[in-house]
Amino acid sequence: MKPLPIALAVICFVIGALYLAGVLQLGVSHSELGKHHLGHASLFAALGVLALVWGRFSSAPTTRRP
Amino acid sequence: MLLAVLQGASELFPVSSLGHTVLVPAMLHWNFDRSDPTFLAYVVALHLGTAIALVVFYRSDWVRIVRALGASVVRGTLSNDADERIGWLLVVGTVPVAIIGVFLEKPVRQFFGSSAIVAGFLILNAFVMFAGEWLRRRSLAAAGGAAVVPLRDFTWGDGARVGFSQAAALFPGISRSGSSIVAGLLLHLSHEDAARYSFLLATPVIVAASVLEIPKLFEAGAHSVLMQAIVGGILAAITAYASVAFLTRWFHSHDLRPFGWYCLIVGTIALGLALAKVIT
Repeated sequence: MKPLPIALAVICFVIGALYLAGVLQLGVSHSELGKHHLGHASLFAALGVLALVWGRFSSAPTTRRP
Repeated sequence: MLLAVLQGASELFPVSSLGHTVLVPAMLHWNFDRSDPTFLAYVVALHLGTAIALVVFYRSDWVRIVRALGASVVRGTLSNDADERIGWLLVVGTVPVAIIGVFLEKPVRQFFGSSAIVAGFLILNAFVMFAGEWLRRRSLAAAGGAAVVPLRDFTWGDGARVGFSQAAALFPGISRSGSSIVAGLLLHLSHEDAARYSFLLATPVIVAASVLEIPKLFEAGAHSVLMQAIVGGILAAITAYASVAFLTRWFHSHDLRPFGWYCLIVGTIALGLALAKVIT
């Protein structure tokens, strides 16, 4: 698997974990400040999975690009 | 119970469920606290019911799509399989609305929550549908009726554009299914395929939003409405199932204009009432 998708996936998972822990509050509405953000965490987890899928496709020998 | 029926039906009809859940309680002078745990738990149950109805209605499609996507990931390549193609189109269409929804949903809804603004957006929703139908008829006439593209031939860019169009529904009064069906029509899908893609696209979004809200069902105070929430959820599911069954048949041979007229009439009445300060 190529390094770029893996790096992207790791970044997404870390950001998701930070939102889940309530450490990251970026792009959160004022009324939700200081809370754990399950929605944001799930979004970044899903993006991380998609980055891994991209990595799987880009490393396969017969990939046909969309 | 009326709220359950309203949610189940308006979530899938191109008439904006969010707009209706603002306008109808205002018109009927229902005074409930939208931040109350019991109300939130009830709304979560309604959303879950709608999500379950969508999954059940398209269950055979989803089984084929998920299998095809899984096989595609295992292989690491794309094939010409129609279900696999539709599955990746759904992924491409869901990512933009998921990102926009997670970051912008609450600020937008807080800012545009008044009845007058919602009524204005409902009127705008009507004109979006009228304009979509008019542009489509014009493009079909220009192409001699040969401009219809089947869903399996949709490009990735087209899939993403329809996905983006769903974000318009963040504005209460603009319908998610209405905007995505119009986007599909403008990209040369038939009414039937545009509606099918719209409902399939709605499923992961509604399911994810409902699942993320489940903890609200167990918040302090919410258990006191558990029975009402279960009954409401079942009612919303039945209504949503009947709605999607009706709409898939409707779009075999009809278009969006009747829903446009409905939004125009209801929006105009609501705007009049809001400007006369009868509703707030």
